[in-house]
Amino acid sequence: MTTIRRFSCNDLLRFASVNLDHLTETFNMSFYMTYMARWPDYFHVAEAPGGHIMGYIMGKVEGQGESWHGHVTAVTVAPEYRRQQLAKKLMNLLEDVSDKIDKAYFVDLFVRASNTPAIKMYEKLDYIIYRRVLRYYSGEEDGLDMRKALSRDVEKKSIIPLKRPVTPDELEYD
Amino acid sequence: MASKLGLACGIPERRVRPIWDAIDSRQFKNALKHCTTLLSKYPNSPYALALKALVLERMGKDEEAFSVCLNAKELLYTNDSVLIDDLTLSTLQIVFQRLNHLDMATSCYEYACGKFPNNLDLMMGLFNCYVREYSFIKQQQIAIKMYKIAGEERFLLWAVCSIQLQVLCGNGGEKLLLLAEGLLKKHIASHSLHEPEALIVYISLLEQQSKYGDALELLTGKFGSLIMTEVDRLRLQGRLLARGGDYAAAASIFQKVLELSPDDWECFLHYLGCLLEDDSSLCKGANNDSTYPLKLMESQVSHLTDEAFGSRLSNASSLVQKLLTEASNDTVRCPYLANIEIERRKLLHGKGDADKLMEALVQYFFRFGHLACFASDVEIFSHILDLDKKTKLLEKLMECCESISTCPRKTLGQYITVFKIQNNVGSMFTLPINELETTAIKMTEMYCDNLSLSKDLDAQESMYGEDLLSMACNLLVQLFWRTRHIGYLVESIMILEFGLTVRRHVWQYKILLLHLYSHWNSLPLAYEWYKTLDVKNILLETVSHHILPQMLASPLWADSTDILRDYLRFMDDHFRESADLTFLAYRHRSYSKVIEFVQFKERLQQSSQYLMAKLELPILQLKQKANNIEEGEGILESLKQGVQFLELSDEIKSKSLTFNEELQLRPWWTPTYDKNYLLEPFEGVSYCTGQTLDDQIKKSQVKVVKTLEKRSLLPRIVYLSIQCASSSVKGSVEANGSVFDPKLSSELRLLLDRYANVLGISFQDAVGLAFDISSGLKDAEAWSCNLIDWMNFLVFLNAWNLYSHEVDRDSIKHGSTWLLVNSILKKYILEKVGLMGPLESSPGCDLPNLVLLVTEPLSWHIMVIQSCARLLLPSGKRKKKGGPSDHCNVQLSQQVQDSIQSVCETIELVRKWLNQQISKSDKAESILSSLRTDEELGPGKVYRVVETLTSSLTIDKDLGDRFTQALQSWSPADITRKIITSQGTALSNFLSICDSKIKSLKELKAHL
Repeated sequence: MTTIRRFSCNDLLRFASVNLDHLTETFNMSFYMTYMARWPDYFHVAEAPGGHIMGYIMGKVEGQGESWHGHVTAVTVAPEYRRQQLAKKLMNLLEDVSDKIDKAYFVDLFVRASNTPAIKMYEKLDYIIYRRVLRYYSGEEDGLDMRKALSRDVEKKSIIPLKRPVTPDELEYD
Repeated sequence: MASKLGLACGIPERRVRPIWDAIDSRQFKNALKHCTTLLSKYPNSPYALALKALVLERMGKDEEAFSVCLNAKELLYTNDSVLIDDLTLSTLQIVFQRLNHLDMATSCYEYACGKFPNNLDLMMGLFNCYVREYSFIKQQQIAIKMYKIAGEERFLLWAVCSIQLQVLCGNGGEKLLLLAEGLLKKHIASHSLHEPEALIVYISLLEQQSKYGDALELLTGKFGSLIMTEVDRLRLQGRLLARGGDYAAAASIFQKVLELSPDDWECFLHYLGCLLEDDSSLCKGANNDSTYPLKLMESQVSHLTDEAFGSRLSNASSLVQKLLTEASNDTVRCPYLANIEIERRKLLHGKGDADKLMEALVQYFFRFGHLACFASDVEIFSHILDLDKKTKLLEKLMECCESISTCPRKTLGQYITVFKIQNNVGSMFTLPINELETTAIKMTEMYCDNLSLSKDLDAQESMYGEDLLSMACNLLVQLFWRTRHIGYLVESIMILEFGLTVRRHVWQYKILLLHLYSHWNSLPLAYEWYKTLDVKNILLETVSHHILPQMLASPLWADSTDILRDYLRFMDDHFRESADLTFLAYRHRSYSKVIEFVQFKERLQQSSQYLMAKLELPILQLKQKANNIEEGEGILESLKQGVQFLELSDEIKSKSLTFNEELQLRPWWTPTYDKNYLLEPFEGVSYCTGQTLDDQIKKSQVKVVKTLEKRSLLPRIVYLSIQCASSSVKGSVEANGSVFDPKLSSELRLLLDRYANVLGISFQDAVGLAFDISSGLKDAEAWSCNLIDWMNFLVFLNAWNLYSHEVDRDSIKHGSTWLLVNSILKKYILEKVGLMGPLESSPGCDLPNLVLLVTEPLSWHIMVIQSCARLLLPSGKRKKKGGPSDHCNVQLSQQVQDSIQSVCETIELVRKWLNQQISKSDKAESILSSLRTDEELGPGKVYRVVETLTSSLTIDKDLGDRFTQALQSWSPADITRKIITSQGTALSNFLSICDSKIKSLKELKAHL
């Protein structure tokens, strides 16, 4: 039961029950506001009856040529609203915007290699592990770059997995 | 930043790059060397100077940087041959901004734009300067100029946003909107419209002027397709139709939205509202800024005839039926809940049937009862049922749980839901004590029995049944409240600690724990748990209330300072960068965000917590320096002798404050930071209704405003008190050689008047009351809820009276105000100490107020004493003996000495108590023994459920390694030790505050 709408500044004052979760990072203000200012269509919040915040997704669109793609920066759901496919709805929305409005080739995301539950979830949503990024998280933990091809990438070239891992400085985008 | 390179001031890129590279890699010394080289080649280049200033500022050499900036500015203004470009100006701008001289940057750009009138780069830079200064009118003017030059849509929209900002955040009248509308109309006629955000802003402009028809025309015309997501466009259309009063058309549009996205609950409410011609859901929906969502959904009683009402609702039912048939799986809940809402509306209209509503609820439960959010989904619906129906509903739900048992996870979820609903409808507070206990045991057993369901989950994932321990804790706290048996409190702590041993990431447990520890004067431990919540950035604004108020009344000064500093740093950083982010929104054509960002900044600037922190940090510093008057005066000096905060106090009255704390995460027993039900007698269920909660929140907001006003007077009053006190020493010249200005005394009198008024009484009545209470004529009850404020008042009254002597004249029979202050401070501190039981067995004891008495009124009094004493100290310079002023001073000296004596005695009594507490040895044992009662009724049973699970003989090895290890590591003795240590730490901190006060007073006395 979800009203999904654009994320607004006032939501920052109401998302504690989502962000107190230890896996959800609370970024600095300029981070959130830059996303709102630059990619407002990629930052959505889901609201439950009574106005409680259930979760949100933030992302962006970037790249050039065939690497023009949507990127999921964060997706998170409050404990009370888990196990009801909300993350899936939010992800689908971002994929839709990337696909239909921005005509991107694929959507990608980074996930901690140890975060098995999340990796499993993304796999269920048809994301594949495109490559491993060595010591991506604070120079310690490896990250996995996962991708899902969109309709514009007819031959699904964007998701052919790389054979070797890469280092963070080889990444095209932050 | 390196990307900003270019041919600035005619300097080739290769010469500048090393400087930017060095800056980017923070090698400032190196960068400075490169700057010197560059300047030797281009001594008159403003860009080279700007770079040098930038490096100097980064090195912390602000003054030098500023002077180099001024040189560069001078060159720009005077040297006609110098090229002016945006790169130079923007570099200068960065430095000026960091040095808090936005105005200088603006004037550089203004000058440049005057010199090169059609240069768009420079004009954008100037626009940016005005954005930084929040000069909406100037923003508008320059944007219009740019629009005229370039004819670009974005510049026009910049102007339109600037106009909207004047209306929404400035002093601009609504007529300005007409101007913006005219600009847009004209532009569209000649250039059409290309950006979705432009359309959104245009529509909002029309909506603000209630021109719904025009807005609709625009949206449904050719520009509508700019909004590419269909449901977004339809939602907007529906809203405009409804606000324009065309409910029928609005309903059919919302119906379309529901067909496209059947799970959109808010849309269903809009749909239903339109059918019933009640747009209350739409009015609040547009800009709902409450951080505390209303518990009850407001909907007006429909004005429709019964017949119309019935037929409209039957339309709604048909739509819901259709949606239900089409709903492919169980992830779509809205249509199911919609059925319940339809029944609720019927009941509200007097045509409903509560049984049907219950039936719909039960059906909903069958399908979704296992979900963790079920209870909060249906909360509003259960409220409409009477007590009898609520009981029946719960019985039915319980039957459902018992009947379906296909999947253990679902069954567990359903039981949890039933418990939550019991709590929501208030029935947990009507249970007799033994049933309450039985329920808590059942919950805990259920948690333990179902651990195995989660054994294959990742340690990061939340487990099945985690809510059970929070709920059991809530019941145990209620048992503690009702029976006052400390064992229940221990038990509630134990099960949360146990839960965190099983999985250490459960923030819900941590919040409950930190409040329980706060209540039990184990603040250091509460703070430890708070820190594990990793509260940072914007959460500082919404979550700090869990710990900050307690910390400010504690002796943990270093930690309190850290919390306040971190919070203020975050807020101030945001205020500094917010305008740049607004400009970013302008540049990226997110016009609606421009308005949002400015309004959000204003909201944070008016935050009551922000104002409170700005006041409390210096007050805290003053408290810390109170033993040394010179240092205290240093703090006051930095606050412009407190004048700064008097201005703040006027501001508080003139603007409305915002309250951004997320209070709904607080435990039931302390719904706001100034309320703790556990300190009051149990009065049954009445407090937990939504209405009581709303009332409580409103009350506490009113109180916050008063507190802020009172606290904003304090630094100035302390300063004036010190001045008045020193002026009472006859024949003295003040420390800085000036003569006392009697105006200071009358100012103090005025401020005391205001202070008394905030306490709800006139100055004269306050003085009268003080003497009456002191002489036993009146009961001290009148002071009880504002004890600290009253004691502060008396201390300042005495200081004022030292100069004016007006109180003594009026009330001479009562004796001097010195005596009044000494005796009353002693009386109340003694009383507090006397009522203070041993800490480990006295949760909720009034340690915070005892700490405040010593660290506030008593500390201010010590400052007053010092202020007199330092001028009474014998010194060689003193003139001959025997004059009349000497006689006065002898008398004063005696009063000061008596006061020192009295204050020392008072603090000694506190020290004695503290030492007794700290040296006690059997505390841990007494805590654990509270759980081992032999009585049939009494705490310990829930704890034993956990004990059984964790005893090595019974640990089920099938639970998997993670749980087995966690259960084996469980150590209740460690918990009790931590509690004792934490209480000890708080006491030791307090003791050392007392010690330092005694020490400084003794030194002072020795010199008199």
